[in-house]
Amino acid sequence: MWLWNKIKQLAISFRAGVVTLRYPFEPRPAPEGFRGQPVWDHTKCIGCAGCASHCPARTIFLRDICQEVRILLYDSSRCTYCGRCADLCPEKAITMSDKFELATDNRQDITQSLELFMMTCQRCGRCYDLEIKNYIDRLSSLGYRYDSLEARKVIRRSTADFSPEELEKTVTYERPGRLEK
Amino acid sequence: MSRGEELVRWLEKELGGNFISAEATIPGRLFIDLKREALSAAAAGLMNRGARYQVGVGYDARKSGQGFGLVHTFAFDKDSLLVALRTFAPGDDPEFDSLTPLIPGAGWSEREYQDLLGLKFRDHPNPRRLVLSDDWPEGIYPLRREVPHDLMPPAAEEVAFRLDEAPPGTSIVPFGPFHASLHEPAHFSVYVDGEDIKGCEYRGFMTHRGIEKLAQTELTYNDVPFVAERICGICGSVHSVNYAQAVEAAAGLRIPRRAEFIRMVALELERLHSHLLWLGVAGHLIGFDTVFMQAWRIREKIMWLAERLTGNRKTYGMVIIGGVRRDINQDRSEDIRAVLKEVEREMLALEKAILKDRTIHRRTRGVGYLSREEAVKWNLIGPVARARGVDIDARRDHPYAAYDEVQFEVPLADSGDVWGTLVVRVKEVYEAIKIINQCLDKLEKLPKNQPLAVDLEGPIPSGRQGLSLVEAPRGEAVHYVLTGEDNRPERWRVRAPTYPNLQAVPSMLLNNKLADFPIIVGSIDPCISCTDRVLVVERSSGKAKLLSRQELENLSRGKRSKK
Repeated sequence: MWLWNKIKQLAISFRAGVVTLRYPFEPRPAPEGFRGQPVWDHTKCIGCAGCASHCPARTIFLRDICQEVRILLYDSSRCTYCGRCADLCPEKAITMSDKFELATDNRQDITQSLELFMMTCQRCGRCYDLEIKNYIDRLSSLGYRYDSLEARKVIRRSTADFSPEELEKTVTYERPGRLEK
Repeated sequence: MSRGEELVRWLEKELGGNFISAEATIPGRLFIDLKREALSAAAAGLMNRGARYQVGVGYDARKSGQGFGLVHTFAFDKDSLLVALRTFAPGDDPEFDSLTPLIPGAGWSEREYQDLLGLKFRDHPNPRRLVLSDDWPEGIYPLRREVPHDLMPPAAEEVAFRLDEAPPGTSIVPFGPFHASLHEPAHFSVYVDGEDIKGCEYRGFMTHRGIEKLAQTELTYNDVPFVAERICGICGSVHSVNYAQAVEAAAGLRIPRRAEFIRMVALELERLHSHLLWLGVAGHLIGFDTVFMQAWRIREKIMWLAERLTGNRKTYGMVIIGGVRRDINQDRSEDIRAVLKEVEREMLALEKAILKDRTIHRRTRGVGYLSREEAVKWNLIGPVARARGVDIDARRDHPYAAYDEVQFEVPLADSGDVWGTLVVRVKEVYEAIKIINQCLDKLEKLPKNQPLAVDLEGPIPSGRQGLSLVEAPRGEAVHYVLTGEDNRPERWRVRAPTYPNLQAVPSMLLNNKLADFPIIVGSIDPCISCTDRVLVVERSSGKAKLLSRQELENLSRGKRSKK
């Protein structure tokens, strides 16, 4: 009986053969729908902070460094890859990529940061997203400021931060996805 | 008259003015409020009527002027009824009657609240520290509201946990805190006379990281499932489903049918891989590595299947409050069927090859024996209890999700030893496959393209209680949720299956050989992390400090206060 069992076990082991994969010498692609490292598409992000306020690991940070620029920082070192951010993003700016080989000795390799250009609502003073259709608003992204509250509806004036290079870069700015149709 | 009504009527009569109220929130749940003088009388009455003790839950309700709350939950498995007895003690006199002399399984729960909330228990037979580390200063109770979740007080000096003296004629063999046969930190101090184990003392909770505190202070309702999933590396879905069920019960939310079946598929896949994992570990612990290799090879197919279904091998991330996140469509369902067929075939071959092998019989038969009476006395659960002839299974006794719509058997053994556990677990693999196949049949018939999750219609009212059971691979897990304000639970208590099972390990070890220690402890499949409820607590400052080697050495060798 004992010997018979051992023969059976041998048969199982031989039939299975070598199952160890040649990874990492041969690549092993992740299956479809894998929840790997999240990737932000800065052209789609509107800076709504939905991902930051719902991240269970609290690993997405948003800071307004000045009235116009909002920084989104994703610190991957504590990410649990649950994909909640990608689910909640209203603009589908976050995709869970198939990248999983994330071991590194430099934290910066896995950190993503986005500089988002935000508009300021002249009524409540809070940030909102750049709207392509509103040309008066687009002026403020180029460095124009209201020069007086009474005249704010029409008159704008160039300020010290005005840069012709920035104008060059942003004048053709188009938000993908919105203009496709 | 149902069991619940009968109990309420009896308690009203027996306790008179000490009975405050009873509330049946959903079928199968009964929440009773008592005055604290009546607690032990009521608990004794429930035990005499055949209840099984589950867990104690303590919480700080001083903000609402109620003092400290203490909830003890009991299960009536024959009647599908869970009873929670709640009492309050004033904040300046938090003393309760100890239930431990009556119910030994309540010992840990009470010691836990002694540590975490500063409650006092009259006549507790062993009122020593359980959860907090030895150098945690006296008088700081982390679960109290005023203590911040990231408090790091200076360590107390000159303190050490006093283990018991070894009984005369025996010597101590320490297992742990880190030991090759234990996969997680735990300390067993085993008393031996020659080769025979004459007793054992356990000191654990070394991986306690305060996940419940975190949920009460930092997270929101829908964050917790993802954190709960990381309580355990094996039965993650069990905890997230269980938490979601408890909140849904408290909020009165009914989730879509399709989501219930998808949750069941996730739970049963988890059971499959957990049983195969345990089989491998058990084989490894008794030195039978063929079992280890082959069981884990079969398991790998299930892990890959889970990766394709959910996006990750282990932490499925399928559950949110109100439903699930991913669907199982026709293609995936065929994928599951194909893998399960393969697993079943391989498992049958493996079972035939090993179950009659003398090696296994000699190492497991009669080892870790515990009689049925002892098993009932210690409130054992899961395969450990079923191997001792205790016929309990939360899936059948307290059906959740859609378990009342599928047919399955609950395998039992009566040998009362490790062998029985092994047989039960192997048989449960086939039952799990059966359940998944039935779920897939039902899923195919359900209408498609329906929403997989329902939204809450408003904030969840505070002060509602929810109690939920899920049969984890190791036994039932209990989650208790008391809803609170600010979109987060006021109290969330997790009781993992290892919590009661580990308390009975000293009895299982008695009069066994020292060489059998690893397999006896391994037979309950101890999940120390579950029991300690683990999570890294880190303030979301965005700053992290890397420690140099010198600093690490200082941390580990020097005292923190001397830094």
